[in-house]
Amino acid sequence: MKNLTTTPSGTTQHGAPDPTAAVVGDLPIALEDVVARDELDELCRSTHVLFGIGVRIYSSDGALLANAASELEICRFVNQLSGGRTACGNTVSAAKSVDPGEEGDVTHPCFTGLAYRIVALENDGRRVGRIVLGPFAPAGLREPPESLAQTEKRLDMVQASELLATVPRVKPEALGRIAKHLKVTLELIIFSSHKAWVTSKLHLFSVRESYKQLEDKTHRLEQALAKLKELDRLKTNFLATISHELRTPLTSIIGYSEMLGEGIAGELTAEQGEYVRTIHAKGEQLLRLITGLLDLTKLESGTMTLRRAPTQIDAVLGDVISTLTPVARKKEVELVFETEKVACELTADAERLRQVFINLVDNAVKFTPKGGRVTVRSKVIEGEGEDAAGGALLSPILRCVQVTVADTGIGIPASERAKVFDAFYQVDSSSTREYGGTGLGLSIVKRIVEAHGGTVRIDANDPEGTMFVVTLPASEGRRALPSRVPPVPSG
Amino acid sequence: MIPSIAVVQLNFAAREVAIKLVYYGPALSGKTTNLKSLHELTREGSRGRLMTLETKDDRTLFFDMLPIVFKVESEGSGMSLRVKVFTVPGQVVHASTRRLVLQGADGVAFVADSQVNETQNNADSFLDLRDNLKELGRSIREVPLVIQFNKRDLPGVRSDAEIDDLARRGKEPVYKASAVHGQGVLECFFGLLDRSWRRLEAEHDLCVKLGIAPDDFLAKAAKALGYEGRGRALGEACVKGGRA
Repeated sequence: MKNLTTTPSGTTQHGAPDPTAAVVGDLPIALEDVVARDELDELCRSTHVLFGIGVRIYSSDGALLANAASELEICRFVNQLSGGRTACGNTVSAAKSVDPGEEGDVTHPCFTGLAYRIVALENDGRRVGRIVLGPFAPAGLREPPESLAQTEKRLDMVQASELLATVPRVKPEALGRIAKHLKVTLELIIFSSHKAWVTSKLHLFSVRESYKQLEDKTHRLEQALAKLKELDRLKTNFLATISHELRTPLTSIIGYSEMLGEGIAGELTAEQGEYVRTIHAKGEQLLRLITGLLDLTKLESGTMTLRRAPTQIDAVLGDVISTLTPVARKKEVELVFETEKVACELTADAERLRQVFINLVDNAVKFTPKGGRVTVRSKVIEGEGEDAAGGALLSPILRCVQVTVADTGIGIPASERAKVFDAFYQVDSSSTREYGGTGLGLSIVKRIVEAHGGTVRIDANDPEGTMFVVTLPASEGRRALPSRVPPVPSG
Repeated sequence: MIPSIAVVQLNFAAREVAIKLVYYGPALSGKTTNLKSLHELTREGSRGRLMTLETKDDRTLFFDMLPIVFKVESEGSGMSLRVKVFTVPGQVVHASTRRLVLQGADGVAFVADSQVNETQNNADSFLDLRDNLKELGRSIREVPLVIQFNKRDLPGVRSDAEIDDLARRGKEPVYKASAVHGQGVLECFFGLLDRSWRRLEAEHDLCVKLGIAPDDFLAKAAKALGYEGRGRALGEACVKGGRA
């Protein structure tokens, strides 16, 4: 109750008007706001037709909202003269402003001997307007009153008397019933309209209020998201820096252990040689892990750049096969390369593609038991596009190179196939110990392939094993791709 | 936060005071029934139309509102009191509407369900009331409040002794009611009206401005509503809070 201000009417209220006050407070309604004027007019006309008495509806501030009255002969006669016109005007304005009293129902006399019945319209315990019925001739009226003759000296009183006699007499009780009926009808309409008005307003306020709450929540979520993104960026930067810093001393460890192993610093005993080779091998393993981490962070931060150039897939694959053949032979796994030898040019970063297939073939060999077989196939297919939209039109112009790497290894359950591309994921964590590896390889494979506009998926290689299917769009079918590998979509 | 609107509207020139009372409580505790009973129990000349915005299944969608307008005798010309009694929608989903309706309340009647298994819902709704008042920038300690334990006629309700015991643990007067039978409704209403008036009196010096002594107000209001000589008895038909 602070900051009360007093308005001219003496109503005290807070400075800023609140729109909800009209609904959940106690502000009076305006009749104009809650009833339809044309329809109100219709109701008045029908009442007029039914009872032959003029009906007017005024709002509480005196505005005429509906009017259904035909001018009586006597009124027209009186109005011809200036004195009559003035007096008539005064009577009409008195009828719309006279206090209808405690009961809200008064009869207001006209100077002609006729009268008006004034009934207050109420809603919500307040007077919101009035009905003015008339003019009518009260039941006891016989002769024109003195006031008529006094109003206008020139008036022909004989004719006035005759005209007055033609106006039908109305008993006060009958008029009371008409007035009461009209009041009940109108108040019901006002109440119903007010109720509908309140409902719609409140609905609006409720929705606005809920919207505000949602907006507030969204704002807080956005802030949280921005904070998380920033943390993510810091993490990526940190990883990149650490990976880089770790590599520097590791290079020395690998280099010196290699030199020791080669006997540059003097002959080693068999046992010393084995220790040094172990140091060297573990150093290399650590370097691969760090390189993988670095690649991943580069991919995540979007700083890995593709150096794209015209590339033939068979050349890349041939290189991969020759690199890994010794590994496969050592493990007694057969490594086969089948190609249709269709020249199909890719616009790709050959070094990164090599990384992709080294990873896939190395994995396949690793997970294939002795005596098994790893088959690499390449062929040209009609493209599928990025999604099925317009496939009927687009697939003929899109050509793709499809490379499959199939093994006869332990296989990957269908439910795990999508997950293996997540960083650090291994189908069975015990396999890390058995087969080695960082769990980074496939996530890097996926990002590089996607950066080339391609896809990678896993199919079963029946009856046993796994088949990785890499699809890369051919040069002519390629759309413009970003020269940078897009960062991992976060959030 | 919704800005708090005028708590009471005082029109000294027209000698008119408007008071807003809000019936709050969990879903289906009988707030609308209280208003319907109150509508039946007050004189035709003083009550307005009961506005209920309810859905087909009898659940209050937005609110109900009953205007009660009457003249109170006082030194000089008397004054007009406009009491508007609102209910809030009890269902949890209508939270924003509850807060809107609660705006500018001069007094709150909390309608609780006496059934033992409604204990948690009563408490939750009361906490909701407290939070909503806080959101409106008001403290529950400064809003005139009465508590009504409704549905006394149902099985599975707390015994009178239990309610008396509960009342002693709180500050607010506790009314026992069976709104569907019109019992305890007037008592609760008069109790709340009296408390609300006393608060307004303390804040606005109404005694000086309107010539009504705080101790006389309830008797005058009761007389105007057709309960001459019974105002105090009705308003005090409660278990007073033990820590008031």
